Amino acid sequence: MAYVAARGGEKAIQQAERLYREQMGRIDRDRVAGIEAALPSLIDRVMGEASLYAPELAALALAQSGGDLYETLLLLRAWRTTQPRLGIAEPVLPDQTFTHRRISAAFKDIPGGQILGPTLDYSHRILATEVLEQGGMSPEPVTPADKPAPSRQPSLASWQKQQGLLAEVTREEVDKHDIPDVTREPLLFPAKRAHTLQSLARADTGGVLALGYAAMRGYGQAHPTVNELRLSQAELRVTHPKGTVFSAGRVKTSQAEMVSKLDADGKLPLGFCATFGWNEVKVIAGATLDLNSSTATSDSPMGEEFFLYHTEAVESSGFCIHFKLPHYVTFQSALDALRGARAEREKTPDASQAVREEEDA
Amino acid sequence: MSLKKLTKDWRAMSYGFLDASAKRELRRKMIKAVAVPGCQMPYASREVPIARGWGTGGLQATLTLLNPRHVVKVIDQGDDDSVNAASIRQFLARVSGAETTLDTLEATLIQSRHRVPEEILREDQILVLQVPNPEPLRPVQPSMAIARQMHADADYGRLWLKLYEEIVRSGRIMQGAEYPALVNGRYVITPSPIPRWDVRKLHMARHLTLLPAGREKRIHAVPPFTRVEPLVFDDVPYKVEDHARVTCSRSGLKGFFMNEIPLDGGGTRYEISDSHLGAKALERAAGEAVRIGETWYKNGEMQ
Amino acid sequence: MITAQMFDAPRLVTQQPLMELSGVSKRYGSVEALRDVSARVYPGEVLGIVGESGSGKSTLLRMMNLEETPDIGDCSLNLPETKGNLFALSRYAARMLRAKKIGIVYQNPHLGLLMHNSSSGNVAERLLIAGERRFYVLREKARDALNASEFPLSRMDAPPIELSGGMQQRVQIAKAIALEPAVLLLDEPTTGLDVSVQALVLDTLKRLQRDRGITMVIVSHDLGVIRTMADRVMVMRRGKVVEEGLVDQVFQDPQHAYTQQLVHAKL
Repeated sequence: MAYVAARGGEKAIQQAERLYREQMGRIDRDRVAGIEAALPSLIDRVMGEASLYAPELAALALAQSGGDLYETLLLLRAWRTTQPRLGIAEPVLPDQTFTHRRISAAFKDIPGGQILGPTLDYSHRILATEVLEQGGMSPEPVTPADKPAPSRQPSLASWQKQQGLLAEVTREEVDKHDIPDVTREPLLFPAKRAHTLQSLARADTGGVLALGYAAMRGYGQAHPTVNELRLSQAELRVTHPKGTVFSAGRVKTSQAEMVSKLDADGKLPLGFCATFGWNEVKVIAGATLDLNSSTATSDSPMGEEFFLYHTEAVESSGFCIHFKLPHYVTFQSALDALRGARAEREKTPDASQAVREEEDA
Repeated sequence: MSLKKLTKDWRAMSYGFLDASAKRELRRKMIKAVAVPGCQMPYASREVPIARGWGTGGLQATLTLLNPRHVVKVIDQGDDDSVNAASIRQFLARVSGAETTLDTLEATLIQSRHRVPEEILREDQILVLQVPNPEPLRPVQPSMAIARQMHADADYGRLWLKLYEEIVRSGRIMQGAEYPALVNGRYVITPSPIPRWDVRKLHMARHLTLLPAGREKRIHAVPPFTRVEPLVFDDVPYKVEDHARVTCSRSGLKGFFMNEIPLDGGGTRYEISDSHLGAKALERAAGEAVRIGETWYKNGEMQ
Repeated sequence: MITAQMFDAPRLVTQQPLMELSGVSKRYGSVEALRDVSARVYPGEVLGIVGESGSGKSTLLRMMNLEETPDIGDCSLNLPETKGNLFALSRYAARMLRAKKIGIVYQNPHLGLLMHNSSSGNVAERLLIAGERRFYVLREKARDALNASEFPLSRMDAPPIELSGGMQQRVQIAKAIALEPAVLLLDEPTTGLDVSVQALVLDTLKRLQRDRGITMVIVSHDLGVIRTMADRVMVMRRGKVVEEGLVDQVFQDPQHAYTQQLVHAKL
């Protein structure tokens, strides 16, 4: 066979992709709308990790990748990164958000009250096989409370600050156009605070959970307690080119504060994490990592450099699958060194012996 | 004033996929990398439509440099037709309208995974090497923050020690590809995992080599006519792969970097790694008029 | 048993000091580690620094090794290649000076050694930092230094993690003397070793001092070690030098109340 540059590779990759897409069938608006309606938690998780708040696009990406989460994220991130930054919203404070759920494990009751909100926490996890047998399950109607909870809830941390329990963090006044943006700047260490929180916000939920769990089990120094967990909708307030501030809609956000025991100065150390969408596991684990990072040594998995690098979903998953690529050039090079060493050893059985003999010569 | 006036008409994709701000970032950091040879410049690495670790840094650099007048060649492990090379070449053509080629001599821009072509590159050619790990200190210092300080201090004792230890333990340096090299007498780089065979081609080369690592968000460069010296002891010579006397079983070429192909029932045969050079040799043997450029290695020896 | 009388009498200290620290103070948060400490090290002598833990003696030694800088204070080394306050050196320059001119042996070998590299490699690293690029010269110099430290050469490529505590200290000593340092700093070099091993390691150090005339500074909480090794002694307490003088003088006739207490508690 002649050694011509037949473009076999191009054809092969085309057919391989077709084979994959065949199993998913036709993708249309209805399928995308169905995914968006049926899987709000998944949509939330994807939006957080993609750092792109667009439920419809998240549903489209899920449909397009057949539910492969890392492929979904890459689609969304690669789309997001090419979009211009048209404006910067006003900062959002917790007590101004429309709060659906807000709990604290640190106190029995808190100013504003414990608001349970929507959760599966106390549900019995019994697989609803009757759906398959009887053909459906509709949610039971919710009975409204006698007294509706206020839509805005104070932050527990502000009460703790009043009590002198929390270290007073000096707020750095930054023009909103100068807020560091980790999607447009390289992440360096020690990281800027904004970069740390942004990286956690878009980190892989599974990765943050794995390392956060390691911290909780004892690899971290701090024993965490949920100070406040909050699921809300935040008003997206942006400035019109004419100068008026208007609401461009609401985004679902989750945030967690984790506290540890009193530190040497008699203050409660506090860890924080927030993300797009409602994703409680991620913010609790993320805030636990944040809580522990200040006391971690630089080479520890509890250190910021370690957990931020290794919970980056697009980078870690991409690198993992890149090992499928051919590596025969590097392998050949290593093989050559190995054979060379073996030849040396056959000449003289002990390598350091060989070195020594050469020295004596 | 209206939103329409403030923005451009919507298009699904910018020319060359990346938006202008991403390209500006890349241009700035490429210039910095060229200005300080071998120094790793952090840059805001963007997501691109291929997976991280599959040449996203190389792709960003190529997309930034690309214009419709370029002729682009893509290599993966020496081979133009390997699936990932084919995928990247298709993507580049699709988003830029640039011409593509398999021939090193015709290319103005070459994106390569882990090989430098065997034909000598010219002043008007740019080589973009895909870099999985830009940090030569990684084996002795996993923290990027500390490694950065070590580079600033030219603190390479631990790296040298690693080479010392390999000779003591194995009788020779065991580094295969990715052999660390000192650039311009100042910064130690990892020349991406190109084989030791290729590292010498970078020394005082006429072309510009860019080494972007997309996942690790670092870019470094070897400008034209820059010293690239593999870290070696004065009294233990640098050894390239022992391919000088091996013959390609398909093209009959000899004295180039080869792929070893295991055969049924034991034994091996070899195929030249630079696939298109092999193809050209075959075409020439069939009587076609083919131009083969001068090669870095002659009869298996580098001048 | 080794006694001070077995060795040369303390040299007269009329020369220019080799190393001089002056007016050094250092705070760590609310802890005052050093308060206006000055110290002189004369060429060829062995200076002992004694005091209980927390007295600041190890901090002072780390400053002599230029790995720690004080809040205020100067350090000078009377060598042709150094001038001015060494605390003002860049991290790079301090590292190079340390590699070429200062040797240190830590109490904890984990601080001074790469436990999983070869012992010869640990010695070679220092030569590599100083710029040696010949493999066989590295081997030869590492072997010489290990030999001078009375380390068994059959184990020269064994990693310290596989060696005994005494052997680990010998690797540290070899690393410290590989480039003939201007000054050798010893931070509790034999603390934690068996008494018999301790005597052997001290013996090696004493022999090195006698044969090569290496200037040494030895920090110890153990008066016996100081008495065995040092010509002169500085007594430190709570970050301050309370007494200083020739070893025999200070130990036989302590002036300061704290030194008296120390000496009498030991004897």
